[in-house]
Amino acid sequence: MLARVADNLFWMGRYIERSEHIARYLSVNYFSSLDAPNDLSQSRQFVLRSMLFMVGEPQLYESKDIIEEEVLFNIGLNPNAAYSILNNVKNVRENANSARDLISTGLYESINKFYHFIINYDPAVLVKNGLHDFTTNVTEMTAVLRGKIRGTLLHNEAYAIIMMGVNIERATQIIRMINAKYRDALEAQGSYGDKFSNSFEWTTLLKCAESYDMMRRLYKKPPNSISTLEFLILNPNCPRSIMNSLNQVYKHIRDLDTSKHYNKNATAFLVGKVRSEYEYKHIEEIEGDIQSFIEDILSSLVQISTKMEKEYFNY
Amino acid sequence: MTKIKNQIFSSYLRNPSLYDEIYDKDGNVKEVYKKLFDLYGEHSIEDYANLNVKAKSSFFNQGITFQVYSNKKSQEKIFPFDLFPRIIDPEEWDSIERGAIQRSKALNLFLWDIYHEKKIIKQGLIPMELISSSGNYLHQMMGVDPPGDIYNHISGIDIIKHNDGNYYVLEDNIRCPSGVSYVICNRTALKRALFGVFNHYQTHTVTDYAENLLELLETTKPHGVDIPISVVITPGMYNSAYYEHSYLAKTMGVELVEGRDLFVENDFVYMKTIRGPQKVDIIYRRIDDLFIDPLEFRPDSSLGVPGLFAAYKKGNVTIANAPGTGVADDKAVYTYMPEIIRYYLDEEPILNNVHTYHCNRPDELKYVLDNIHQLVIKPVDEAGGYGISIGNRLTKEEIEEVKRQLKSNPRKYVAQPIMSLSVHPTYIDSNESFEQRHIDLRVFTVLGKDKEFVLKGGLTRVALKKGNLIVNSSQGGGSKDTWVLKK
Repeated sequence: MLARVADNLFWMGRYIERSEHIARYLSVNYFSSLDAPNDLSQSRQFVLRSMLFMVGEPQLYESKDIIEEEVLFNIGLNPNAAYSILNNVKNVRENANSARDLISTGLYESINKFYHFIINYDPAVLVKNGLHDFTTNVTEMTAVLRGKIRGTLLHNEAYAIIMMGVNIERATQIIRMINAKYRDALEAQGSYGDKFSNSFEWTTLLKCAESYDMMRRLYKKPPNSISTLEFLILNPNCPRSIMNSLNQVYKHIRDLDTSKHYNKNATAFLVGKVRSEYEYKHIEEIEGDIQSFIEDILSSLVQISTKMEKEYFNY
Repeated sequence: MTKIKNQIFSSYLRNPSLYDEIYDKDGNVKEVYKKLFDLYGEHSIEDYANLNVKAKSSFFNQGITFQVYSNKKSQEKIFPFDLFPRIIDPEEWDSIERGAIQRSKALNLFLWDIYHEKKIIKQGLIPMELISSSGNYLHQMMGVDPPGDIYNHISGIDIIKHNDGNYYVLEDNIRCPSGVSYVICNRTALKRALFGVFNHYQTHTVTDYAENLLELLETTKPHGVDIPISVVITPGMYNSAYYEHSYLAKTMGVELVEGRDLFVENDFVYMKTIRGPQKVDIIYRRIDDLFIDPLEFRPDSSLGVPGLFAAYKKGNVTIANAPGTGVADDKAVYTYMPEIIRYYLDEEPILNNVHTYHCNRPDELKYVLDNIHQLVIKPVDEAGGYGISIGNRLTKEEIEEVKRQLKSNPRKYVAQPIMSLSVHPTYIDSNESFEQRHIDLRVFTVLGKDKEFVLKGGLTRVALKKGNLIVNSSQGGGSKDTWVLKK
């Protein structure tokens, strides 16, 4: 496979995954704030600021008076905001276009439909009453795309590279969410009846990761800081967890690099190293210093991505 | 004008001065179209309009679109498609097929000759200046032997039916003829929308193009290569024919590369893969000659591969079509096709040529200037239907302008009698009815070493604007599925 095309497929996977998480973060936060148990979590400014933090928009974030319509438009459909869902989906299609000969007709057709749905979505509707409809469509269509990737592509190198993109991005987005919600929980501390460890924000976080139901099923108790972080970071059976994403990345890099003993400079070596670090961690180690954990894992993911670029996408 | 009784064709107006493909002179539906006519007639116009919308959205969703550039903005459009197919009976097809192969082979021999001994010129059959003044003649190709001795692997021959009922070739496209992917898409769309009609006709498949193309390309592999690696090279995804490039690569199962994916080392060509360099033996290029190698041709080209031409001259890589083929699809060379066929093949041409006036000959230029209203004036080196003037459509001012251009640069133009393209019933959206529209046919041939292939179908292009004779997609043309019936 061409190195350039591999690069594009990797990013196609990343942008698919990114669109989904941004969309869900938007809708879950917005709708759960409407009847949140404490005043701060119910405050619109608080929620909008959290959304801006999640997508990494510093300028608006600093502003005192955030306008709801502006935030929803920027994150949903603003063609001039690099982080907008619109631009993510454009990038999905652009990357898919360059690999059109490699991917299945079915996958391309779904991507194309997704793209046309987004570019034809009326921004006025989105900011007025379309948020639920818009974000539900985005999350469903990304699920369709992953289904087509899994169900129609050859499970070969191209598949491995797309799935590495998907899983590296998933881990990244889950950490960004943890980071954003961790800050929210700190901020919400002390407002009516809300302690950090039992904050309402942990429920929101789990819903953002589409993991709330399954977490309740496993723990059979309302989520607190420890159980939420444990589930989302270390539980290998939670498909959204960091651990699961790292396992997936490891599985797919081994399809690319079939050597028995990895060269110490190989991507596969690094992935294995990062993965085993988290395999043998317990949550108390992390919970004590969440901030360092977030910085460490983000930097490891960036390193993996950079290594892949050097080893496979060199053109 | 006569009206016809049949639900869907009830409003079909037949202009008797045009050659209608589905009616005979007496206004009866031709035998071969009878069944189709009845089957379509069972639909109401609403039904049909509905099918039409569905077929279009299927094209759009699949991203079978091309970019149109206007006002500096590019727009994504589907290639308009008509659900009423064109049928070609086996006898007619037989002569088209043999004629197309004959022309392709003759052109191949002609190219060899003009890039080697130039016998045809030495014998005075073709003037030297015709070749040397052509913008598509590449002196770099002199004495180069292309692998497998093939120059024009892929040819797209544009044929029309005149109102005398005979086929005429309008031009031979042997640079990068496009459109073959639409032949297959049209068939797929028609099968989806109206699968029942296929039960009543024995139609040749068109889905075997890619496999034959790859097989024949591989017969022209460079010397010493065992199992050749082929690629398709594209200018990139913003090219208007990108869909076709990706379609061809996908159906041949080969990589679709851009110039930046390839490099040349020691006169061999490699592509940059995730496993490092891999040697490339055959390049089906969809990039024009002057852009393929910045070291040899246009130095500002970023689409090509530096050193590619040197590798080609050494015989280490096959380029299809070979550089420099454009000299033979020049509209001025076209006019010598009967002589070219007789000279190289010692055969009579199977397909007719349209009589052509050469504006570089003073007496013919005079005739053209005096008779512009009866002629089509074409620049010899423009593709895509650009720059064509149709004499009887011009205003007085426009005629003066054309005359001025002819006088200032006569070599640039040829003129032909206005051919009356046959018409075919075509569904017109805005009027919700079938109307007569002019059509042509592009036939695709592939030449390999001692082997050839003609796609049994071809692209029927239709001029959707009423009365328009120019069928190119860039000029508002659409297309129809084309059925070649089995014997």
